[in-house]
Amino acid sequence: MPINLKSSVVESREQRLGTVVGWDGKASDLAKESAYAYGAGGGCGKKARKVCELHGPFTQGSVCSEMMVECQAGNVRDAVLIQHSPIGCGAGQVIYNSIFRNGLAMRGLPVHNLRLISTNLREKDMVFGGIDKLERSIRDAHARHAPRAIFVATSCATGIIGDDVESVTTRLGQELGIPVVPLHCEGFKSKHWSTGFDATQHGILRQIVRKNPKQKQEDLINVINLWGTDVFRPLLGELGLRVNYVIDMATVQELEQLSEAAATVTFCSTLSSYMAAALEQEFGVPEVKAPLPYGFAGTDAWIREVGRVTGRSEKAEAYIQKEHARVKPLVEELRKKLSGLKGYVSTGSAYAHAIIGVLRELGVQVDGSLVFHHDPVYDSQDPKQDSLAHLIENYGEVPYFSVGNRQQFQFYGLLQRVHPDFIIIRHNGLAPLASRLGIPAIPLGDEHHALGYQGMVNLGESILDVLAHKKFHQDLAAHTKLPYKRAWLEQKDPFVLSRPGAKRSDESAA
Amino acid sequence: MRIETEESKKLPVVNQPEKTNSIEGVRYVCSIGAMHTASAIPRVIPITHCGPGCADKQFMNLSFYNGFQGSGYGGGAVVPSTNATEREVVFGGADRLRELISASLEVLDADLFVVVTGCIPDLVGDDVGSVVRPFQERGVPIVYAETGGFKGNNFTGHELVTRAIIDQFVGDYAGPKEVGTVNVWSLLPYHNTFWRGDLAELKRVLEGAGLKANILFGHESGGVAEWKAIPKAQLNLVVSPWLGLATAEHLQKKYGQPYLHVPAIPIGANETSGFLRKVVQATGIDPAKAEAFIADEERRYYRYIEDFSDFYAEYWWGLPAKFATIGDAGYNLALTRFLVNQLGLIPACQIVTDNPPDEHRELIQEQFRKIAPDVSVEIAFEEDSFAIHDRIRKANFGQKPPILFGTTWERDLSRELKGAIVEVGFPASYEVVLTRSYVGYRGALQLLERIYTTAVSASA
Repeated sequence: MPINLKSSVVESREQRLGTVVGWDGKASDLAKESAYAYGAGGGCGKKARKVCELHGPFTQGSVCSEMMVECQAGNVRDAVLIQHSPIGCGAGQVIYNSIFRNGLAMRGLPVHNLRLISTNLREKDMVFGGIDKLERSIRDAHARHAPRAIFVATSCATGIIGDDVESVTTRLGQELGIPVVPLHCEGFKSKHWSTGFDATQHGILRQIVRKNPKQKQEDLINVINLWGTDVFRPLLGELGLRVNYVIDMATVQELEQLSEAAATVTFCSTLSSYMAAALEQEFGVPEVKAPLPYGFAGTDAWIREVGRVTGRSEKAEAYIQKEHARVKPLVEELRKKLSGLKGYVSTGSAYAHAIIGVLRELGVQVDGSLVFHHDPVYDSQDPKQDSLAHLIENYGEVPYFSVGNRQQFQFYGLLQRVHPDFIIIRHNGLAPLASRLGIPAIPLGDEHHALGYQGMVNLGESILDVLAHKKFHQDLAAHTKLPYKRAWLEQKDPFVLSRPGAKRSDESAA
Repeated sequence: MRIETEESKKLPVVNQPEKTNSIEGVRYVCSIGAMHTASAIPRVIPITHCGPGCADKQFMNLSFYNGFQGSGYGGGAVVPSTNATEREVVFGGADRLRELISASLEVLDADLFVVVTGCIPDLVGDDVGSVVRPFQERGVPIVYAETGGFKGNNFTGHELVTRAIIDQFVGDYAGPKEVGTVNVWSLLPYHNTFWRGDLAELKRVLEGAGLKANILFGHESGGVAEWKAIPKAQLNLVVSPWLGLATAEHLQKKYGQPYLHVPAIPIGANETSGFLRKVVQATGIDPAKAEAFIADEERRYYRYIEDFSDFYAEYWWGLPAKFATIGDAGYNLALTRFLVNQLGLIPACQIVTDNPPDEHRELIQEQFRKIAPDVSVEIAFEEDSFAIHDRIRKANFGQKPPILFGTTWERDLSRELKGAIVEVGFPASYEVVLTRSYVGYRGALQLLERIYTTAVSASA
């Protein structure tokens, strides 16, 4: 199913990839259910709909697409993002400012506040429309910051009242002479926030990426990432490649040259799927189709494929050999120290598959994992990118593999199934519960922490560090009460409310 | 903005750019941010009927990246949400809300649920009352408030939620009043980074003076039992320039309770002792206990001030003289009074950022005009950080580096002005705050420590 850049509105994940946000079982069963999406059953190109999704009556606050637009388009260094919304969506300026500042500092870039402007819609705008305010804010953004591009994020409210955002962005884009890019990201339109990544990338592909590059930069490689430390530059530098980090903390110029690169790679296919596939489809920039670069097996295969695609196979082999010699003894040492420990991974989808692999390289037992959604297939539709299958083939089964949209009430039961010594997280909301159960968490704020050969050593050391934290969490566990009813905590099946035939609680309602 | 001195009268009038709708660098959030009004009460859990991101967004920004305050018992990722989808937009979300409430009763252990709504149900016209009322009729402790994001900010949302709890949960009362008991309406929970410590200090000093204080929010609150006792109090005490006045007026009508309005939250001995005497007088309780408490607190306070005075009088390397305060009317007024009257600092630029309702603005301005007999301050009402920073750049801080009492948004600006920054309000993303307080007797001393540790530690 090719990516459609003609429409200004991105197709949601569930439309393109058959994404689900509720599932529970063995990892191998989920891989099997997803496999047909790659052509094993339903025929290649058909949209995957075979993964049966669990829905329950009880849900806790999730995350929305607009937030992902904020944290991507809002973190382009010389652009401005306008949030066309009531002031509440603007709350996100706070978190993404802090993350942006710390990301800049980690990357050695000048630290400054992000540039997000809310159109601050009020009650009467809901009646008469907010287009005039949008125009005013675009002009303010231009006058205040002289940005190289202006992004406009829509909101639930503007989606419902039907503001014609494009009438303004098109006109002002021409008048101001810079891209003014509408990003359609109403929270209610997709069940998973990762559609927000796609919405941002869709807008960048349509209006910022150079359409007819005069020349390719044969030593430039796109790295689709977030705010992580600079590990790709030294790594790919070994192959004689220059890194183009996008989207966070990139400049508009760095986004423009996406179409000129020799290849595209990532730390996580959940994030990169749309952009990488579209760059290949539209501009012939090959997406490196390999397992993600985690653990020995994944990193070996990934570097070989980068070497092959960019014509640097010899250098790739030399690097692999050198790093194996360096890292293998370190990993062996860590394996001795970590043996007998149990870990639990709860992160975004492809990233979790990768991290479980790293844990198993380190000899850590992983019996369970919670991922926030599952894409049966990525946009490339290439089985070589099937990160779940790679996990199972190389590192074996995960007996308790669950998909849940960051639902803390289920997390209690999930942890009771496997009793881990520690958990690994990225997104907020689950570690606080684990903490109250005496279980420490490793928050991978730096998404590159566990990446590549060195990443195994990094993560191993972080596990040893966090085990010391247990004292804090166990002390808390002895002095706290959870906000859940005893009957719920005693429930063996965290998905009981969602099973087919479950008594819907509204039947007992008033 | 301006101090009435001969020098300042010569300053040119500064032209500000035209005010627009744009808000860059938010200083408040929308009404549904008042889900924190519910979760700030022990064992109370909000239920949010809104899009999938609203609840998390309000929490992560108001609570996490604002002092890393934590989710408490029923906030953060615990909060149920309908996570409204296209279906709820097209067909309405009443059924989904009913389903969520029923399930919440099975899963969550709370003394009270507070349903708050976001833009989606308020735009598509869900009749939330008709969903919630049958639960109330069954005796379920649950109330609702319509807090759609476009209807106001989290200050006005706070009053909506407070009123919903009073009208739908506390209910009618015609019995006797308890002399000496007061209900305290003051800082906005979670939005004010230091609310827990500050409310604890307010309760401590009021009770030290012989009163019983229903503090209503935070770890010193008695939870829903304390809320149920609201109508028995003799007096409502509004300690803030405007927030809480609507609630107090409502309570006056509803329960015949008078209220005492103290616009300036007290910081330091003079302010706090004066505040306590006012409350004691208004309630008519025997002032002897209060006077003994005040004497004891002042004795201790001034011994610490004495200790501080060595540093303050003879520190070699210079200390800030002129300051700016950027924050909501409540903290801004309180800080300005303390900095001027206790420390003798000079106000250079005071910007009120919480968008107070028009009817309260004159009163707020009046309070700033009488900061001290010799100090009158003209304030600006501004919510957009770009315009705020523009005003600060144009302020006259003299030759010395200024000190800014503001938020994370002012970190770059303070560097640009080669000044110091003390993050005292939302968002304070580079502070970790638990019990720290800046009000009353004890909080004032902690504030001193914070200000001068900031100034000294940046010096070399």
